Amino acid sequence: MKLWAAAALMTLPVAVNSEVLLSENEIQQTLSFGPWPPTYQPDPSNRVSSDSRAITLGAALFNYPGLSVDGAFSCASCHDPEQAFTTSEARALGRVPLNRNTPSLRNLAGLRWYGWGGKSDNLWAASLHPIIEEQEMAHSNESLKTAISESSYVADFESIFGNIRNQDPELVLVNTAKSLSAYLETLRTERTQFDSFRDALERGDLLAAATYPEAAQRGLKLFLGRGKCAFCHNGPAFSNNEFHDAGVPYFLSETEVDEGRFGGLNFLFSSAYTLDGEWNDDSAKIGSWAVRSVRRRHSDFGTFRTPSLRGVAETPPYMHDGSLIDLDAVVRHYSELDTERLHADGEAILSELSLSEQEIADLVVFLETLSYVTWP
Amino acid sequence: MDSQTPNAPEVYVDVREIPLAQPFSILISVCTEATVHEVRVDAIMPAHQHGLNYLPEVSALDEGMFRVDDLLFHMPGQWKLQADVDFSRRSVSYTSEITLK
Repeated sequence: MKLWAAAALMTLPVAVNSEVLLSENEIQQTLSFGPWPPTYQPDPSNRVSSDSRAITLGAALFNYPGLSVDGAFSCASCHDPEQAFTTSEARALGRVPLNRNTPSLRNLAGLRWYGWGGKSDNLWAASLHPIIEEQEMAHSNESLKTAISESSYVADFESIFGNIRNQDPELVLVNTAKSLSAYLETLRTERTQFDSFRDALERGDLLAAATYPEAAQRGLKLFLGRGKCAFCHNGPAFSNNEFHDAGVPYFLSETEVDEGRFGGLNFLFSSAYTLDGEWNDDSAKIGSWAVRSVRRRHSDFGTFRTPSLRGVAETPPYMHDGSLIDLDAVVRHYSELDTERLHADGEAILSELSLSEQEIADLVVFLETLSYVTWP
Repeated sequence: MDSQTPNAPEVYVDVREIPLAQPFSILISVCTEATVHEVRVDAIMPAHQHGLNYLPEVSALDEGMFRVDDLLFHMPGQWKLQADVDFSRRSVSYTSEITLK
């Protein structure tokens, strides 16, 4: 059933010929993508979550080159605030070229998993690992303690965490990561044209809803229906935060593969920094069920975390390896999906969509309306 | 819940709310005088040919009641909930279909 904004035809010239193209069922599905922004609770696993002093310190440390062992780069070098907290390179450049695209850092509060392979179950662990990764910032616990102690931020650090000299180097590492996490929790994408549309539908204001571009509505209908996108890209963040094989090659070379979730789980289970570990500040260990209950399967090989689509138009290139240069290429990837590349025991509903040029354009327009900046 | 086993004791599942891609809990009640040794719960999406990403945790309550935690349906669509109930001399399988929008 189409719901016509008939009143607009009589009173508002701007809305002439505009209509809400969605069926009742599609409207109900659309409502599930909001409201935006959601409300977040402080992270109980991080005692300085939502602490304004920790947020300020975390923001400063995010831009501090001393977080890398030789002062060569800061977090912001790869997660550039001017580029939606990522960069335009296909793959991240640490001390050496890395294997994956740099993810944006917005809307990270409260997720179940972090990283393309989900090797962390909390944001402070996800903030911690790059500091000590040899190919990234390459600190040891000791060298990081020295760097913080000798930095201009030591007074702020000690006002939150106490005298740094009395802290074990590993505690300094965790405290530094929890400050960074407190800052990262504050990074959100703005409301978008899509949110105005979604909220108008919720209010039953079809006149307002009908101002959402028809091309975007057609794209949304494909997103919900034949495109099958909403099976994985669901909820207010447009992600189920789980792991899937999207048919993107995971061979790094003829002899090397990106293990994806398989490797992420191996890392997770050997990590001291999970919600089930001793560094969790929450005695109830809320959320630790996931690391205890998650299953390991061979089909995890080469699967990657479903990225949020909030702000997606601002963060090209795409996919875990940055191999698709723009949204048009992403939609064409699914339109021409090579099902031979998919796991034999993986997701069975993926198939070549064979979209028309008009349908590809419509889906791109819809995806663009999920960003604060939209293009005509 | 349904079972292919003849004369299987009745089993009921109490599902209040299922949030998409978020953990939820259910109650399973087994209507029998016999001792229930164990209940194992799992679920699959037949059309997608995959199951749960997390192993549900089953806790015995009183009088044939079992609480199942850590269930998580990470995709919308039709799920088949499965419960294997171990009685003293046999194991009986039950299923129940749930559609998540």
